[in-house]
Amino acid sequence: MIEPSTARADRFRHEALFYSGRSEFINGTVPFIREGLTAGEPVLVVESLEKIQTLRTALEEDADRVFFADMSAVGANPARIIPAWQDFVTRYGVPGKSLRGIGEPIWSTRTADELAECQRHESLLNVAFGHGRPWLLLCPYDTAALDSAVIDEARRSHEFVVDGGSSRESEHFRGIEACGAPFSVPLRPTPAGIDELTFERDGLRHVRELVRKHSIVVGLDQSKADNLALAANEVATNSIVHGGGRGTVRVWEDAGRVICEVRDRGVFDLPLADREAPGPDPSSPRGLWLANQLCDLLQIRTFHGETAVRLHMRLDPRVNLRVLPGGSNGVDLAH
Amino acid sequence: MFADNHLVVMRTARPGGLMVAGEIDISNTASVADSLRDGFEDGADPHLDLSRVSFCDVSGIRALVSLALELAPNRRLLVHGLPPQLETVLKVTGWADLPGLELCSCGGDD
Repeated sequence: MIEPSTARADRFRHEALFYSGRSEFINGTVPFIREGLTAGEPVLVVESLEKIQTLRTALEEDADRVFFADMSAVGANPARIIPAWQDFVTRYGVPGKSLRGIGEPIWSTRTADELAECQRHESLLNVAFGHGRPWLLLCPYDTAALDSAVIDEARRSHEFVVDGGSSRESEHFRGIEACGAPFSVPLRPTPAGIDELTFERDGLRHVRELVRKHSIVVGLDQSKADNLALAANEVATNSIVHGGGRGTVRVWEDAGRVICEVRDRGVFDLPLADREAPGPDPSSPRGLWLANQLCDLLQIRTFHGETAVRLHMRLDPRVNLRVLPGGSNGVDLAH
Repeated sequence: MFADNHLVVMRTARPGGLMVAGEIDISNTASVADSLRDGFEDGADPHLDLSRVSFCDVSGIRALVSLALELAPNRRLLVHGLPPQLETVLKVTGWADLPGLELCSCGGDD
């Protein structure tokens, strides 16, 4: 039996739970949930549908007092997870009472790009909540399925870890300030021979045309192509307003996705700017927020005085399947 | 009233108001906002036909929202023919319910 991580919180406590197999998962999460329910704390679990079912079964009638959300939907773009927690904390938090959450954003079939953004998300949770109201967030990591480098990074992005059943401070935690430092993990190389368009204030129309045209050519449907062009327009607008007045844009296809990259001479030093829900004030920023809501993934990097933003849009799988006449679908499944 | 290479602002007869046609982005937002502000008649709630706006970015919507807020609480900005792309931006950016901005169904030529 894993001992409950902590009895109470006097500040935000971000803790990784290393588990292997179903029973370690249950032993690490169910007492944590029950402890919260006993204390009358709101509890939100954001997990896969399969794990939600496991927890519902283990919790029996207590499950009715827990909020559940599907991580594959909430965290499809990992930048949408912090706003979901923000919403939970704002909506259900009451002074003098903690809240509890369980969130597992990383699973073994995440793509390399998604994984990097999930890891950035885990770091940014400390920035988003580290100075705010007290609550507990437990992040399960499946040590049997995930690479050891992923577990190592979890030790750096969480202040506490539950490992082998006991909870302790992580000596590798990088600290809140470093968690919010500009992100410079390398991006995957751009394929050779991609045309680059340089734009200024009067040329955003050409940016939108380029994005739309390339998107349609590789098979993105019209509405996704329009959304990608809109998101690219907002990122390019940031280049004009904050990034030195100009930038470059490139679009290419990679592994079933359209990727649009905007580069400029700006430095992106507001780590939560793309995931803070816009306020009612018309002047509050909305461009990057919009891009995160419309696109499947955003990658924002600052390297040596240059900022790169990549917008990813998944191709419609039906378009991607390339059904051939005569019933053969071009993919040889008869192995 | 205002025109550049990819946008015009003009008057409409029925209902009396203004129409924008073309694309609004950071290059012309300020000019569009100025011409709308100058073009709205005093007194009545102004009608604004957006049905021929083929693109409007966040800066453009911010300008429309600011105009509506300037008119509120005594007057409303009556918007006709909101294209789906603008609706997306309004919804996603949390501007769906705004004081002073109203989708008009007065049966004018929209």
